[in-house]
Order: sequence, then C-alpha cells, then structure tokens
Amino acid sequence: MDTLLLARLQFATTTSIHFLFVVVTLGLVTLLVGMQTAWVLTGNPKWERLTRFWGQLYVINYVLGIATGIVMEFQFGLNWSGLSRYVGNVFGAPLAIETLVAFFLESTFLGMWIFGWHRLRKGAHLALLWGVALTAYASAFWIMVANSWLQHPVGYEVRDGIAHLTDFGALLTNPSLGMAFGHVVSAGLLVGGMLMAAVSAWHLIRRTPDFALFRTSLRIGLVTAALAITMVQGFGFAQFGPVGSVQPTKFGGDSPEARALIAEWTTRFGPGDYTPPVLSSVGLGFMILIGFTLGCVWLLLPLLFRDWIIRLRFPLWLVLLAVPLPFVAVILGWIAREVGRQPWVAYGLLPTDQAVSPVGAPVMLASLIGFSLLLGTLAVTNWVLLARHAGRGAADPALGRPPAAPGEPAHPEPALA
Amino acid sequence: MDLTWYALLGLFFASYLVLAGYDYGVGLLLARGGAPAGRRAALTALGPFFLGNEVWLVAAVGILFGAFPVLEGELLAGCYPAVAGALVGVILVTAGVQLRSRPSDERVRARWDRVIVVGSALAALGWGVVLAALLQGVPRQADGHVAGVSHLATPFAAIVGLTMVALVAVHGATFLTLRLPVDAAAVAGRTARRLVPVALCAVAAATVVGLLSSRVRDAVQRPAVGVLLPVLLVAALLAARAALARRRPGWALIATGAALALPVALVGAALWPYVLVSTADPGASLTVADAAASAPTLRLLGWVALPLLPALLGFQAMCWWVFRGRTEGRAPVYW
Repeated sequence: MDTLLLARLQFATTTSIHFLFVVVTLGLVTLLVGMQTAWVLTGNPKWERLTRFWGQLYVINYVLGIATGIVMEFQFGLNWSGLSRYVGNVFGAPLAIETLVAFFLESTFLGMWIFGWHRLRKGAHLALLWGVALTAYASAFWIMVANSWLQHPVGYEVRDGIAHLTDFGALLTNPSLGMAFGHVVSAGLLVGGMLMAAVSAWHLIRRTPDFALFRTSLRIGLVTAALAITMVQGFGFAQFGPVGSVQPTKFGGDSPEARALIAEWTTRFGPGDYTPPVLSSVGLGFMILIGFTLGCVWLLLPLLFRDWIIRLRFPLWLVLLAVPLPFVAVILGWIAREVGRQPWVAYGLLPTDQAVSPVGAPVMLASLIGFSLLLGTLAVTNWVLLARHAGRGAADPALGRPPAAPGEPAHPEPALA
Repeated sequence: MDLTWYALLGLFFASYLVLAGYDYGVGLLLARGGAPAGRRAALTALGPFFLGNEVWLVAAVGILFGAFPVLEGELLAGCYPAVAGALVGVILVTAGVQLRSRPSDERVRARWDRVIVVGSALAALGWGVVLAALLQGVPRQADGHVAGVSHLATPFAAIVGLTMVALVAVHGATFLTLRLPVDAAAVAGRTARRLVPVALCAVAAATVVGLLSSRVRDAVQRPAVGVLLPVLLVAALLAARAALARRRPGWALIATGAALALPVALVGAALWPYVLVSTADPGASLTVADAAASAPTLRLLGWVALPLLPALLGFQAMCWWVFRGRTEGRAPVYW
C-alpha cells in the first residue's frame, strides 16, 4: 500500500466520523436555542426541562466531537503537507479564521454554559447558548469556504509554483459555496429534528412518564425535520447548476465541457485519468433516494392533529426506524462532493499525489490504524452514551441540576450520570 | 507583519501549554490512585475551564496553518510521531475526562482514570519532543522537505519530553492547591513542593544533555538566550516552591505557568531568525519570514482576526472570573 492511498483512506475515515458528530451538534444546538429562549421568555418549566434533557445529549456529542475535529485539523499538516506548501496562502486563511473567530469562542461559551446553570443570570446564560449556536454556524461557514475553494479555486494567482491570495471576496462568492452551505446546514437541522423525533417516539412507544414533554419534542422534531428536508432537497438540487459548471467532471457523464477540460489538463499536467471514481456518482444516487424517502416526513405532519400520530403508534415506529437514514445520506453526500473532486486536492490546480506528505508508508499505516481505531471507538461510545442517556428519560436530567440546599448532602453523583 | 504573527503563534501555543498544562498535570496526578472522591474532586476543580483550555491548541494550529503554511506542513509532517503521539494524548484526555463518570462502577472509573493518566503523559511528552526537535534542528533537505522521522530519536528529545511531563505535573499540583477546598489543597501543596525538585533535576539533566549535543549547539543561533532558558526555568520553579511554602498558591501557579510558557518564547528567540534549522544542509534552514504566508494573506488575517483578539481574551477572562475561587462540595459536578 502506498502512502497516498493510506493518507486518502485516513482522510475519508476521519472526515466521515467527524461529520457524524458535526450534524448532530449543528442540529441540536439550533433546537436548544429555541427551547431555552422559550423558557426565558415564558418562564414555563417545561422548556427548562426540555433544554436540560436535550442539552445533555448535545454536550456528550459535542465533547467527543471535538476530539475528532482536532484530528481533522492536524491531519492537513501531518498527511498533506503539500497542501500547505502550495496552496496554504489561500486555503489556510479560512481555516485560521474558523479556529480563531468561531471554534475558540464556541468552546469557551459552551464551558461556561454547562457550568453556569444557577450561577449566571438567566439572560446571560441564554446569551451564552446563542453564542455557542452562532459560532457553530460561523464555524460551518468558514469550513465550507475552505472546502469550496478546494472544489473550485478562486481569488488567487500562481507565482513560482505557489498560490497567492489576490481576492478574498472571491472565496466568499465562490459558486460552489452558497448552495452547499445551505445544504449542509439544512442537513444538520434534519438530523437534529429526526433524532429528537425518534428519541421522543421511543419514549412514547414505551409509555414512559413525561408524556407531555416528549409529545412536545416529538412535534418540534417532526416539524423541524419536515422543513429541513425540503430545504435539503432545494439546496441540493440547486447545487447541480453551479457545481456542474465549475466542476464538469464531477458527476460523471461525458459532456463536451468535461472533455475540453480533460484535454486542457492533459496538455498542462500530462496524460492521466482525470475522471473521478464511479463511487461518487453511485453514492450520490443513493443519497437522492434517501432524500426523497425522508420527504415522506410531510405525510406524518397531518397526524399531529389530535395526536393521531401517537394514538396510531405505527407512525412512531416509522420515525424511530428512519433515524439512521439521514446519517447515511450525509456521509454519501460528502463522498459525492469529495471523491467527485478527484484526482485533485484543489480542482484543476493541485493533484492529490503532489499534496501528500513525504512520510514513509509504515508511519502512515500506523497513523491510519491508530486514529481510525481511536475515532471509531469514540463514535461507537458516543452512540452508546447517547442511547443510554436518551433512554434514561427526562426525570432528573443532571445537566443544570440545582445545587444542593444548605443542610442537605451534596449531590453524590456527577451531573451527567 | 510576520513578526506579529510569529509572536501571536507563540502566545497561543504558550497559553495552550500553560492552561491545558494543568489539565494534563491534574490528569497525571490521578496516577497516585487514592480515594474515588479525591479523584473526582481533582477533576471537578478543572470543571468549567476544561473546554476553554484546549481551544488554545486548535487556535495555535489555525494560526500556524493560516500565517505559516510552509512551517505547518514541514513541522507537523517532519515530527510525525511526536505530533501524532501528542494528539492521541489530547484525545484520550478529552474523551477520558468526559467519560470516566458515566459508568457507576468504581473499578471501571479507575480504568478510565488510567486512560487520562496515559493521555496526559503522552500529550506532555509529545509537545516536549516537538520543542526539542526545534532546538536540535531537523534534517530539512534542499527540496524543502524534512527527511524521515528518525531525527527525533535522540537523548535530548527524550529528556526534554520527560522534563515537560515533570513541569506539567508540578503545574497541575499547584493548580489543585489553588482550587481545591482548603483541606485537600494542603495535601496537593505538599505534592507540588515534593515535585519541584524532580522538575529541577529534569531541567538540569536536559541542560547538560543539550550542552553536550552538537546538534543543539549548532542549531541555537543565540547561545545567550539558549543558556537563559534553563536559568529562568530554575528561577521559576524555585519561586513556585517559595510561594507554596508561604501558602500563596496564586503566585505559585503564575510561577509554574511561567515555567511552561518560557520554553516557547525562548526557543523562538534562540532560533531567530530561523524557525527550522536544518542539520542536513545549512542553506535549507527555514527563516520565519520564508515560513510566513505572503503579505495579502497576513493582511487579511490581521483585519479579520486581530480586532477579535480582545473578545477572545475577554471571554476567556470572563470564564476564569465567573468560576474563580475554591471548589466546594455543594455545586453539581460534571466530570
């Protein structure tokens, strides 16, 4: 196995696992903001309990997701040093801005939010969660700016074989950015909504206590998922135009533009296979199928009337069983976008084999195995923990538990146990 | 412009070592075992700061990528095992602290605590080796790539890694002296004072090995700064010990923090104007100016990021202020 293949496998594994965490984070934080805002505005304790219950699941997912994100960030330097050497002047900027402007603040705010219950004033505490959500979206935006530049490099000029930034505005108006950002953010909302609806459905099927609570979150989850799937579809199909025009080889097929581009690359970079692997288009087909299937969420919305969805019960099973679908779809979507960019790291500018670090295959293999095992374990642990805590119900979600009153024993258990 | 960004890179990486340093130090001290309540109390002391500490590393690497892309690729790929080891350590600590209290069985929790110990040691070792690699130079070839990773396997790198572990342990114990309830803090204070001589010995050993190493002598551009580093480290550690003896844990923490920040600043100064000194080909040494991104990129980063810097520091300071003081048994705990 050569270093290039190993590095690509590692990138695919890390990115896929990381994204499973990201969509849950983006979706849940949006819904949490709504719930905590409702609590502060109305003072209804139901919203507080919802915030604490879903906040717990959000925090578990976030903290484990950080670990995968750190590997993502380091991987560029470890495995793809050619990327920083040739295009780092342009590609590095949005990533640097993401860490400083978004992620740094997001984690700082979240730490204060977790430990700030009953310690900060309600308004300040809510403001922290808004801060977490806004920086999460800012983070997604800057990552998409960086990724879109790899899909369609703009705003640069090459001097001495190295790309230099000439027009940062062009990165922000990149045709492969706008619709893709909307698509990813809606996918996050879809996952958040589906997860919320499915966990609520499980509790309603099992007839656990807190009927009213889970009835509310079922409704919120389903309505969110319905709106989100429509946005996912809209932004998704809207991408075909701009992406097809800037990346003619992406979706396979044999268009005249693609042939012309491949001929141009052959003269500039020498002969080679410039068509992406079939894998990307196959994945895209399945993703679209899943997208249409999930569109059926709209059919469940009329059943919210007079709680028919709960009385009939089988729709709850449908919601529960559908929960893996959006996760499969988001992975397939990224495979289509990233594998469809091959054989380029930066489309038409930097071939993948020139970007890989000149480290030996044994080192790369050890890294691939080590990090894949580590991140895979984290992902499995995450899902086991989420399931366990979701199943435990909202009786006393320990996140935000009030401090013990004087004279009573302090809480013997940690807040999330 | 590149000097400003080089200083910022140093600031963020040094802040990471100081802040996450006490996370790892507290993690290492879990190795003492002890009653479950004591281990829980130590992690509770980290509580609200834990998430805000690690972000400095992510931001430092962000600056490294955005402002010094050439250095990013060569340093990380050239020190692959050290960086990957540190990274595994960071992940183990992040996950371990979060997960250790999920199971209710104390034996399982003790096993998770061992994961945190291993992670903390790996993180400290890894970053120590990276700093050592800078000081002893790397085999950067004329084509601009660092050849192989065997250049890391030197006695100097090993002893600097171990010194970092010792410094982090002192720092963690000092942090607990400041944060734990008074009774437990006295115990932590004694541990910290006992660890100071260990750290002093490690610094002395690293100094001797460094002076004996021809690679280190050749790579250091400013020998005076190079000698100043161990002198200041010893001074900081002695100051920490004196402050601990006088029951001034706040000052002691500042001193142990300085012991973790100083190496970053002085390694940068000792190598200036280079950042990667090549042991293979003097012409292949990388200067800070050559490592920096081109002017338009630095200007852009300056416009976007610098105005936000006060906000970044302000919100971190807010976190320290809101959760200042000693922990007490009442508040709900998280880790």
